[in-house]
Amino acid sequence: MDVKYINPFISSLNNTLETMLSVSPGRNQPFLKSNNKASGDVSGIIGFASQEVVGSVALTFPEKAALKAYELLMGETLPHINEEVQDMVGELANIVAGGAKEEFNAIGIVYHISIPTVVTGKGHSIGHKGGVPVVVIPFELNGLPFYMEVSMKVKPGLPTVQKLVAENVAG
Amino acid sequence: MKVLVIEDSATTRRIIKKNLAAFNLTDIEEAENGEEALAKLDGIDIVLTDWNMPVMDGLTMVKTIRANPKYKDLPIMMITSQAAKKEVIEALKNGVNGYIVKPFTAATLAEKVKGLLARCNPVSEAE
Ligand SMILES: [Mg+2]
Repeated sequence: MDVKYINPFISSLNNTLETMLSVSPGRNQPFLKSNNKASGDVSGIIGFASQEVVGSVALTFPEKAALKAYELLMGETLPHINEEVQDMVGELANIVAGGAKEEFNAIGIVYHISIPTVVTGKGHSIGHKGGVPVVVIPFELNGLPFYMEVSMKVKPGLPTVQKLVAENVAG
Repeated sequence: MKVLVIEDSATTRRIIKKNLAAFNLTDIEEAENGEEALAKLDGIDIVLTDWNMPVMDGLTMVKTIRANPKYKDLPIMMITSQAAKKEVIEALKNGVNGYIVKPFTAATLAEKVKGLLARCNPVSEAE
């Protein structure tokens, strides 16, 4: 999967956390996922689809990072992941997926998003929709690791970024 | 002033309520989806609604509300993650009066909601 399909989600995640939690997350090197197990204890997954693309984006938080996010958002310290933390993770995934749309539109990709699915438990699995390798981008929230996963299949015939740029220059 | 907040995320409902309370909007009715909201419209002065929700989404609900002449002037603000410009335009065309893209700050919510209320009730200050 081309990085141009990852960057809109990264910008959207940064904007989401900066606006809602007042923190800029740290980011590490992306890698390809080798199984469907989540790296976290709670995951929010959004599917997206259109004529051009099909895929999903997930945020998966180990307990510590999830509780820190909740504390930053709601000003409350919780001992464990509960329903409210699960709801927050689903809503964050929803906001990241929706927020990436404008940047995707600029490269000719439009999509609709699903309602979030939230999965919890140690070693749970995340069902991605793209049918293509999943890219994992590791992040840190106040030093605590969490992950964004993106699986995105772009249907054949879609103009590439290079082509769109060339057309704009020519036009 | 009675506000109807329609939002499937309990976290976001809490944040919206807290932000509204900061400028004295404390009479709040809540619904988790569009269908539930349609049964709670009587006596409501302003609607704040999400777009992506199960059962009935916010846009379908807005169309249903606007189809009823009784609610043609009811102020409706959409608060949604749908960030594409064409979506904003679609919502406005279908009867939404204001639009807030998530993620939002307390300041943005206050400014937009107060602005919408002022546009819909342009009286108090002049009199
Ligand atoms: Mg929602």
